[in-house]
Amino acid sequence: MDIIAARNLTVGYGTLQVLRDLDFRIPVAEITAVVGTSGCGKSTLLKTLAGLITPLTGEVIFEDEPVDYLSEASLASLFRGIGVLYQDGALLNNLDLFENVALPVRMHHRDMPEAVLKEMVHDRLAQVELIDSAAKYPAELSGGMRKRGALARALIMDPAVVLCDEPSGGLDPITSNHLDELLLKIKEAFRTTFVVVTHELRSIQRIADQVLILNAGRLHFCGSLPEVMGSKDEFVRTFFLRKVDHDDT
Amino acid sequence: MDENTTSRVSLPKRLCAQDIPAAFREIQTLREEGPVVVDFRNVEEFDSSALALLSYLRGCFTDVQVANIGEKFEHSFEAFLGGTPPAACDVPDLGFPTRVLHSFSNTFLSQMRKLGKFFVLLGDEIYHTGAYLRTREGVYPGEIWDQLLFMGYKSFPITCLLVFLVGVTIALTSATQLKSYGADIYLADLIGYGMLRELVPLMTGIILAGKVGAAVAAELSTMTVLEEVDALKTMGVVPEKFLMVPRLIAMTLAVPLLVGIADVAGIAGGILVGRLSLGILPSVFIREMNTAVDLDDFFIGLMKSLVFGWAIVVGSGYKGLTVGRSAGEVGRATTETVVLSVTLIIVIDCIFGLILY
Repeated sequence: MDIIAARNLTVGYGTLQVLRDLDFRIPVAEITAVVGTSGCGKSTLLKTLAGLITPLTGEVIFEDEPVDYLSEASLASLFRGIGVLYQDGALLNNLDLFENVALPVRMHHRDMPEAVLKEMVHDRLAQVELIDSAAKYPAELSGGMRKRGALARALIMDPAVVLCDEPSGGLDPITSNHLDELLLKIKEAFRTTFVVVTHELRSIQRIADQVLILNAGRLHFCGSLPEVMGSKDEFVRTFFLRKVDHDDT
Repeated sequence: MDENTTSRVSLPKRLCAQDIPAAFREIQTLREEGPVVVDFRNVEEFDSSALALLSYLRGCFTDVQVANIGEKFEHSFEAFLGGTPPAACDVPDLGFPTRVLHSFSNTFLSQMRKLGKFFVLLGDEIYHTGAYLRTREGVYPGEIWDQLLFMGYKSFPITCLLVFLVGVTIALTSATQLKSYGADIYLADLIGYGMLRELVPLMTGIILAGKVGAAVAAELSTMTVLEEVDALKTMGVVPEKFLMVPRLIAMTLAVPLLVGIADVAGIAGGILVGRLSLGILPSVFIREMNTAVDLDDFFIGLMKSLVFGWAIVVGSGYKGLTVGRSAGEVGRATTETVVLSVTLIIVIDCIFGLILY
């Protein structure tokens, strides 16, 4: 079963087409990695799936309903179903970590009892192992902690899909590995679907069930991790396999 | 090519960045007279600018022939620029009038687009403020109070001080003139009327533009650059409401308090100068001022200040939320906000003047 699908999706800015004629499906409760060369439109794709950019043509289908990017109700429904983990976390700097994680609940469930809200935030911070940092402000957290905090915020409304923009970017291998394990744990525990834009091929090998490879704005390859590894396609081999070989040496 | 009409430029032995301008000028000058052959025979020492020159000559000038390119030069050219088309000749020379017209129309359209966005944001803010006052939703709890403290309480000392000094300056400037006509007592009328209706609203507006407008623009543009605004959107939070409504409401509450206190400070400056310079007793000053001004003048000043305050918040919000994605844009947005806010204040003041006087 697919939770997100794109049909003939073309996205751009003005007359510039960044993504062209994309057709793909994101299976539920799996991790889909989106990879490609710099500037190929990975982040644009993520923003389109997140409802931040309106496609020029084609459509995005979320939970079997086409997303109407001009309808507030349709976008609200999309926003309820997704969480986004931004590259640098994008935690609000004037709120401490607790309040950052609590923010979506405060905004959408104003009558939520404070005791229950505290418990919800506590649980999410426990999952990302940041309970001791609840009172700290984003500026006092390390890059990895900010990302884990942002993940807790993205998860607090129990979204069906979490979109992650380079979760391992700028992190050391140990922290990056830790974050990957966290995604896997959350996927197993809550059947959460993840779409992960990443350059980290080791991370893809660890977590991805499906891989989308973009090249110059087009979908070049879509398949499971074993299919990628066994691909004879020159671009896939150049981009993916040689890089892995290189990393291994 | 006819050798009789063809000019020849022999490039020097050393062809590096500092030698290119002279060589290029010579080629350009000779081109005006007819076809040119550029001779690379002597070139032994060169850098990447010489390779760029060759690329440009080959790609962009049909009336220029290059000759005697050495093997070393050609090899470097192939290795460095092989397959790369020249960039500069892609730009067609439109001619001066067309360039000016093109630039003017682009600027005009861009300004119109910005104006449109500004009014869309203004409309959004009116709608969201109304919606918030009805439902009390979409704004972070306690944010209005925090903004009120920042805009009102923390702006209070500097506003009072500057308005007091303006009162002193205006009174000093006027006192000499009034004294020479024996019209000393009218200093009270001038200060009272001028402060309540014009100077206090204007000074308060300008101080708030510099202090609050710049801070709001810097904060919002930083949030935009750091994707915090995008994060709010994907949480289903409307940034124009979440970020702007508390500031608009706080401004609406802070301005009357600031204006009230600033009116007192400005008039106090006038009273001080009246007493020290013209010997007018404070009680006499106030009695005379009361004959010239009434409550309407205070309310007109207050209304002006409120409109200035709203213009500052919407202007700074517009600059902060429409900023690009680079860190450098934060500084630019902040500076532009102050300029935009002060411009809006003066334009609005002018409109008030046309309506009220």
